[in-house]
Amino acid sequence: MNPLFFRKTIIAATGLFLCVFLIVHLSANCILLLPEDIARDLYNSYSTTLRESPLIKIIAYVLYVSIILHAFYALLITLRNRKAKPQKYVVNHSNENSTWTSQNMGLIGTLILLFIIVHLANFWARIKLGMGEDVRLDHMGNKDVYEVTYSLFQNIYFVIFYTLISIPLALHLHHGLKSAFKTLGFYHKKGLKILAKISLIYAIIMGVGFGIIPFIVYFK
Amino acid sequence: MKVTFKIWRQEGPKDKGAIRDYEVDGLTEEMSFLEALDHLNELLVLKDEKVIAFEYDCREGICGQCGVFINGRAHGPHDNITTCQLHMRSFNDGDTIVVEPWRAASFPVIKDLVVDRSSLDRIIEQGAFISAKTGTAPEANAIPIPKEISGRAMDAAACIGCGACVATCKNSSAALFTSAKINHLNTLPQGKAEEHKRVAEMTFQMEIEGFGSCTFTGACEVECPEGISIINIAEMNARVTKSRIFG
Repeated sequence: MNPLFFRKTIIAATGLFLCVFLIVHLSANCILLLPEDIARDLYNSYSTTLRESPLIKIIAYVLYVSIILHAFYALLITLRNRKAKPQKYVVNHSNENSTWTSQNMGLIGTLILLFIIVHLANFWARIKLGMGEDVRLDHMGNKDVYEVTYSLFQNIYFVIFYTLISIPLALHLHHGLKSAFKTLGFYHKKGLKILAKISLIYAIIMGVGFGIIPFIVYFK
Repeated sequence: MKVTFKIWRQEGPKDKGAIRDYEVDGLTEEMSFLEALDHLNELLVLKDEKVIAFEYDCREGICGQCGVFINGRAHGPHDNITTCQLHMRSFNDGDTIVVEPWRAASFPVIKDLVVDRSSLDRIIEQGAFISAKTGTAPEANAIPIPKEISGRAMDAAACIGCGACVATCKNSSAALFTSAKINHLNTLPQGKAEEHKRVAEMTFQMEIEGFGSCTFTGACEVECPEGISIINIAEMNARVTKSRIFG
């Protein structure tokens, strides 16, 4: 298949999957906002279910592959697109015809990728791979992921980092979600207008949601 | 009216090229931008200097020849116009105006502000036509086409191939141009017979010409003199998938 379209299709499809994943992720994070006695048991048993359910295991692999493919093809596209414009303009007012976000999805995406690596090191490596300090068990015998989360967000630097990264995340999602549908060939005029609004609302919810929870946890 | 032009001068395709400054007096607000360049060239002739090469033909916004990058925008500071439709009243007395040729790997500079846009022609050659026996014009109403369909085809057919979409796109993507040409013919019954072949071959040519891929920045539809909607690209994407399945 024509690489100009194949690569974009992979990016759009994996991107949409990641958008759905984020909804589930944020919903689960909201458990952290409940009173501690309910939240700890609920959050820990939820994460045990995720780790042990065979279906979720498959989805987890789809998720890893999606992130890798999304980043890999984005890199290929960026390299090709740079080659297509070898000489830049001396003066270019691209802000007058397009948004800064749409011009810098690669840069924003790289920030998010760096965040994902830190985020995986904070949680995934410790809980799933057993690296670093041992994770204690709670009174129900589940790994105390609630404790891992709360202890991480006692560190103000992590709180600031997680909160700041929600800004590029929201920008990336806003441009990415509505563009993914166009890339996949959705061309209904009114539908696209509605999708643009949905993308904005979605991006705001995700940005504010992921950005504010570490702060609430810090002050709780 | 007096302005300072900063204009890209390049002797030939192999020359490195550089921006050169020209202070030009005696311009009027009514002059079109191309007339201002003409005026500058006349001054250069009197000084026995080489004139600035730039392309134009109709000077009424329909031929698509006069594409140049002016002050950081394709066709100058306004949306949806050609360079010949730009007038000096859009600038102020004493302004500095930077003029550059279209930049894209697929649009090599020939001289000064003139670029080679034949890559777009080669995309056209791959199927932006219908294979039909020529002869006398057929009866206009022999094939009934609803107004909505003919309107959509006409909107896409309005593309004048100026290359502003490629020039303004950070990826030098020719997606708006190619999609306009594809949708123009594929929307109409006359184009249906070859629809899948057309899509596959024109998009393939777009790839081998070295254009980038569309990332929907939306800059193209803002600079397009014909206001061709970016939705055409989404429609082309759907057609690419369809041509893979049914083609």
